[in-house]
Amino acid sequence: MTMDDNAGEPVIRVEGLRKEYGSAAALDGVSLEIRAGESVAVMGPSGCGKSTLLNMVAGLDRPTSGTILVHGQDLGRLDETGLALFRRRQIGMIFQFFNLIDDLPALDNVALAAQLTGTPARQARLRALELLEELGVAGRRDNYPATLSGGERQRVAVARALMNRPALLLADEPTGALDSGSGRQVMDLLIELNRLGHTLLIVTHDPQLATRCATRLVEFADGRVVRQSALETTP
Amino acid sequence: MSAVWQAARAAVRRRRLQTVVIGLVVLASSATSMLALGLLDAATSPFDKAFGQQNGAHVVAVFDTAKVSRAELEKTTRQEGVEAAAGPFDQTIIAVPKGSPAAPAGPLVVAGRADPAGAVDRVEVVQGRWPSAPGEIAINQGFNVPPKPGALGSKLKLPGGTSLTVVGFATSMSRSAGAWVLPEQLALAPATSQMLYRFASAATEQQIRTSLATITAALPEGALSSSRSYLSVKAAFSGQSEDYLPFMTLFGVLGLVVAVLIVGNVISGAVISGFRHIGVLKALGFTPNQVVAVYLTMVCLPAVAGCVLGITLGALLTKPVLQAAFEGIETGTATIGTSAWVPIVVLIAMPALAALAALIPALRARRLSATRALNAGSAPRTGRGLRAQRLLGATRLPRSLSLGLGQPFARPGRSLMAMGAVIVAVATVTLSTGLTSTLVAFAEAGGTGAATEFYVRAGRTGLGQPTRKLSDQETEKMLRALPGTLKVTAGVFVGVDLAGYQQQPLDVQFLRGDTPSLADQIVKGRWLEGPGEVIVPPAFLSQRGLKIGDEITLTLKGKQEPATIVGEVMDGGPRFIWSSWQTLAALAPKIPADLYHVQLKPGADPKAYAKAVRSADPGLRAEIDADLGESISTPTVVGFASIFTVLLTLVAALGVFNTVLLNTRERRRDLGMLKSIGMTPRQVTVMMTASMALLGTVGGLLGIPIGIAGHRIVVDSVGSIVFPESAKAVWHVPQLALLTLTGLAIAVLGAFAPARSAARLTISKVLHTE
Repeated sequence: MTMDDNAGEPVIRVEGLRKEYGSAAALDGVSLEIRAGESVAVMGPSGCGKSTLLNMVAGLDRPTSGTILVHGQDLGRLDETGLALFRRRQIGMIFQFFNLIDDLPALDNVALAAQLTGTPARQARLRALELLEELGVAGRRDNYPATLSGGERQRVAVARALMNRPALLLADEPTGALDSGSGRQVMDLLIELNRLGHTLLIVTHDPQLATRCATRLVEFADGRVVRQSALETTP
Repeated sequence: MSAVWQAARAAVRRRRLQTVVIGLVVLASSATSMLALGLLDAATSPFDKAFGQQNGAHVVAVFDTAKVSRAELEKTTRQEGVEAAAGPFDQTIIAVPKGSPAAPAGPLVVAGRADPAGAVDRVEVVQGRWPSAPGEIAINQGFNVPPKPGALGSKLKLPGGTSLTVVGFATSMSRSAGAWVLPEQLALAPATSQMLYRFASAATEQQIRTSLATITAALPEGALSSSRSYLSVKAAFSGQSEDYLPFMTLFGVLGLVVAVLIVGNVISGAVISGFRHIGVLKALGFTPNQVVAVYLTMVCLPAVAGCVLGITLGALLTKPVLQAAFEGIETGTATIGTSAWVPIVVLIAMPALAALAALIPALRARRLSATRALNAGSAPRTGRGLRAQRLLGATRLPRSLSLGLGQPFARPGRSLMAMGAVIVAVATVTLSTGLTSTLVAFAEAGGTGAATEFYVRAGRTGLGQPTRKLSDQETEKMLRALPGTLKVTAGVFVGVDLAGYQQQPLDVQFLRGDTPSLADQIVKGRWLEGPGEVIVPPAFLSQRGLKIGDEITLTLKGKQEPATIVGEVMDGGPRFIWSSWQTLAALAPKIPADLYHVQLKPGADPKAYAKAVRSADPGLRAEIDADLGESISTPTVVGFASIFTVLLTLVAALGVFNTVLLNTRERRRDLGMLKSIGMTPRQVTVMMTASMALLGTVGGLLGIPIGIAGHRIVVDSVGSIVFPESAKAVWHVPQLALLTLTGLAIAVLGAFAPARSAARLTISKVLHTE
């Protein structure tokens, strides 16, 4: 896995981000900048707004106010179709509960992401198989998600996230639904991805994940950034 | 393979039930649409096409040559409104003897025409040739009626004894004549001449009458003897097939309604239960339009497959139905079949309809926020139906029952669609039951199977039967004297011409004696009360544009007798009418009765009676009355209605099945929780079944009046039958009570299997998954 990147350039720039659900504010004036090659962990108690931030950056939801620039692109200016194109080309997402398509076997789940960009099915499957091999789940390529273990599902999900070689990976509690062994494997995978140049934004409750995988920690409370600190990654 | 196709194909493969339900419902709808459209097309297109190719006559007018000259008739062709005309052609009537291979026995209208072509009524020679010399004749015969062996070259005689050789057979869609000879053949003072007109305005009977009145206004009074519009010929062509149309159309509409309801319900369910699926697609980068495309493709695949199978099934069913619909009809050069546009329209329209039904829920999927979809996993509960749940909870009903009864209120849209399917199914069952009852009642009113009614026929020498020993009067006296006799009506069938109509002669049954049971079938007007009166069936009136009170002229062997139409019976062929013995006496006083309709007293033994008749005169044959004289085929209609009812009921049950399955999937967590606090599997089954039982009962109650209304529309729309009120009033309390249970039965049938599966859910698995 190799990729080109303009190291040090801002990949994500969030300014004055606010998101309201009814009268409650999930995000209240968040500003944040993440540079290429960084691995940033966002931590905080439940309901503090960290997943909301991730959804905004992924273009899955729209803010009430504020701006989000990803690779210099203002997400607020994109319509639904534009956001879909942004997601398929610019980012890879990893979810706590994997969010694989139950109707498709592992290989097709991974290949689907490339097919969306117009890659022919045969070529997409070859690339998907390559990724599954690299992640150690090629033997389970014809299995449907329901028959995979949690760790296997997450590795398939990571393969899918990497399918279109995105510079930015967004992970929402990537080890939250995994046992400790599988969790460790996924952490190693994330460290390796960051080492290869992928920019990571990880939302987590898990201090071990943050300290092992992230180079910077952003702490949230009540929809606000309360502290940011650089981390020494522990192997 | 595109991503949309990949995602849709996988969804179709994994959601087999949904795919089967959509395929099946579209199959049923496509088959019935094929039948309805095929009949509609066959009723008009073949005639219009063949009539157009021959430039058929809008009017065949017959003029009295004693009152109008050829020059005056030729002048009418130049009047305003006349598009084209042919004639005048002299015409006469010849008597075809019994046993002639060329034409049926009876009078035959012969017109003098030099050639079959012309501006109007381009007669098509189908066998042999057109007459080219005096002494030759061509007979009008349809494509579908091959001439009898030996017909070509056989002889017929003109009045006066001139012999004619049959040299050909030709078809006129206008039915301008029964046969043609060269004009010089009829030069010896013909009594009448025919003119064939095409008018600029000829869409309705009124327009034709007005046009004819305009062009004949200047002619001497009484010059126009008779006229017949092409609309009556067309009605004769399509009358029988149009009788089937109300049935097929109504079933077709019901099929379409079920298709929309089920497809809408299934896809709504797929969207609601597939919120997470939609969220994942969007998170991956599917555009909103691609999400819609995935969901529409999921519908269109089984819809197209179901449609193709439905068209095939419809095509197979159309053949026997068209055969029944056109049985005995003179179709001329028209080829009966279904046009190519019918399957094409069905193939385009049915999947389009299914896609349209799926579009609304698919658009919901389009609008859905990806975050909301991913987080919800399924459609969020909004607390709807809580009030109903609270009210039901306060009742003394077992809690599992009250919980189940409250469920439909939580998802009112889905519940209404499931109930809609039940309503249509119950309406179909009601309609089908009603039609069967009506047809059975109709058959009974016509005397079918009534063991106490007999026809006693005099043996016919020509058929090798022993001849009667007793005379007509003696036979009637003998029958009246036999023990067990209640009523005797003597009659005879006589072929009689109807002046002014170039059609086959009428079969008139002249009656005397007691009023027969046929009088009970009078639906309009009254029974015969004296001479010069006739009773007719609806088809007789519709094919000739006549009504009760109109006067017709019966012609037999040169004698004419006017007769007034005084009554209409509910059914019968267009050539069969009834009149009194006094009318026959005026036309042919010496013809004896050879058919005696006998009604026995209650309790009389039919076998003993038949034996007594044979003992009195071995030349008499006693037969139980089995003459229904249907214009529509009861087995065809009942069979079709039954198959369709079973199909729609099955589909409605599958719709309920799908609804319960969705409810179960959506409520997995609730069910797990309820089981974890002690709800038994039996209680879970009761709860899930009860939720649909309520919808089934309400659907049953609503479906019955719709079915009854549909039944009334159908029985009132069959042109050739006027069903008596006794045959229409087929609804009784026990039957209605049973029909009410139909809705409940459909609901329970559909709900039971998924309810049982819900009862078997493993608690730990359910709660863990959530």
